[in-house]
Amino acid sequence: MHPSDEDLVVRYVEHGDESAFRTLLDRHQERVFGYLLGMVRDREVANDLFQETFLKVISALSKKRGSYTVQGKFLGWVLRIARNAALDHLRARKKWRDVESVGDSEEVDYWSRIPDEAPSAEEEIHQIEMADLLQAGIAALPEEQREVLLLRHESEMTFREIADLTGCSINTALGRMRYALINLRRHLTSQQRKDLSEVVVAHE
Amino acid sequence: MSNEKRDILLHLYGEGEPDQDLRTLLSKPALKSEYSALSETKFRLDIKKKERPDRAVIDRILAASRNEATQNGKKTRLDRGPVSRRVQLRKMLLPALSMAAVVVVSVGIGWIAFSNSTPEPILSSMYENEIVPPESLYRFVPSGKAGISTASSQSETLSWDDGSSIPNLHNRISSLKPTSPLDWGDSALPLEMLPSSNSRSGFQTAGSNK
Repeated sequence: MHPSDEDLVVRYVEHGDESAFRTLLDRHQERVFGYLLGMVRDREVANDLFQETFLKVISALSKKRGSYTVQGKFLGWVLRIARNAALDHLRARKKWRDVESVGDSEEVDYWSRIPDEAPSAEEEIHQIEMADLLQAGIAALPEEQREVLLLRHESEMTFREIADLTGCSINTALGRMRYALINLRRHLTSQQRKDLSEVVVAHE
Repeated sequence: MSNEKRDILLHLYGEGEPDQDLRTLLSKPALKSEYSALSETKFRLDIKKKERPDRAVIDRILAASRNEATQNGKKTRLDRGPVSRRVQLRKMLLPALSMAAVVVVSVGIGWIAFSNSTPEPILSSMYENEIVPPESLYRFVPSGKAGISTASSQSETLSWDDGSSIPNLHNRISSLKPTSPLDWGDSALPLEMLPSSNSRSGFQTAGSNK
C-alpha cells in the first residue's frame, strides 16, 4: 500500500525523512513538469521553473509546512506554486494575455484567439511526427484553454480542482476544455490536410 | 455550453454523474458526433508521452531537501532542551535502578536458597518432646533486642539448633555398648552359646520354659 502524500509530508517535515520527499518528487514530477512545459513551451525555462517550484515547496515545508495546510491536496498546492511561477515568467515576457472569461458562450470564435506567434511554421510541421504535431497544437491554443487542458491531461486534476486552482467556475473550466479539444482537433486536421496536399503536389 | 454537452464532456473524463445515462445522451446525432470528435482528440492526448525534468534538476532539488532536512533536525534538537535534560536524567537513573533491582533479586534468591538448604527435622519418638511448630523452625529469634518473647528466645541460636539431640544420641549408643559381649567383626556364634544368665539380655531357645 502506497503512503499518501500527507503521510509523506509528515515523514519529511516531522522526521526529516529525505526518502519521503524523494517519493513525493518521483510521484508528481511528470504532472508538474508537463504542466510547466506546456505553459512556457521551452524546456530550459520549464526546468528552471520546476526547480524553483520545488525549492519553494521545500522552504515552505521547513517553516512548519508554510502555506501547506489543506489535508490531502499536496499536488494542488504544488501546482499552485508552479502556476504562480509560470504566470510570473509569462507576464515578465509579456506573453500572458488576460483573456476575458467567455463563460458558456458558443458564439465566440475561439480559433481566432490562437496567437499568431505559435510555433507552427510549415517547415517544422512537415518534419514532425504526430506527437510533435500534437504538441504544436497544444502550444497554439489560447492560454486559458491550454492551461485547463494541461491541468487535466498532464497534472491529472479533476475539473473541480482545476476550477479551484484557476479561480473560475466548473462550467467555465469545462467550456475551456471543450473548446481546447475542438480547436486541437481542427489544428491536427488542417495540418494533416496540408501535409497531404503538399505530398500530392510533389508527386505531380 | 448546454448541459448535455457539459455532461458528455464529464462522461468522457470519467467525472459524470452515475445516474446520467450516456446512451441516452448519444441518441442525438449532434451529441454523438461531438462525443466522437472529442474522444478521438482525447485519445491522442492520452497516449502522448509524459515529459520529465532533467536529471540534474532533480539532483539539485534532492540535495536541497537533504540540507533542509538536516538543518531541521539540528533545529529540533536545539528547541528541545527540556526534553534532552529529561532524557539525560533518565539515562542516569536507569542503570542505578537496574543495579538496585539486581541486588534485591540476588538477596531474595540467596534467602530462598538458604531457606531450602536447612535440614528437615527428624521426626522420631525420641524427639517428640522437642518437636516445635513448623513456623518456628524458620524463625530467627533475636535475643530480646526487639522485645519479642518466645519459648526459645533466651538464646541467639535458632530455636531448633540447640545441639542437644546429638549428645543424647551419643550417650544412648555408649550406654548400649557394654551390655553386649558381641562386637562388630567377631565370628558368628550359635544362639545357645550366648550368655543366658541375664534374663533380660541374650536369647533363649524356643523350647525352654524358664
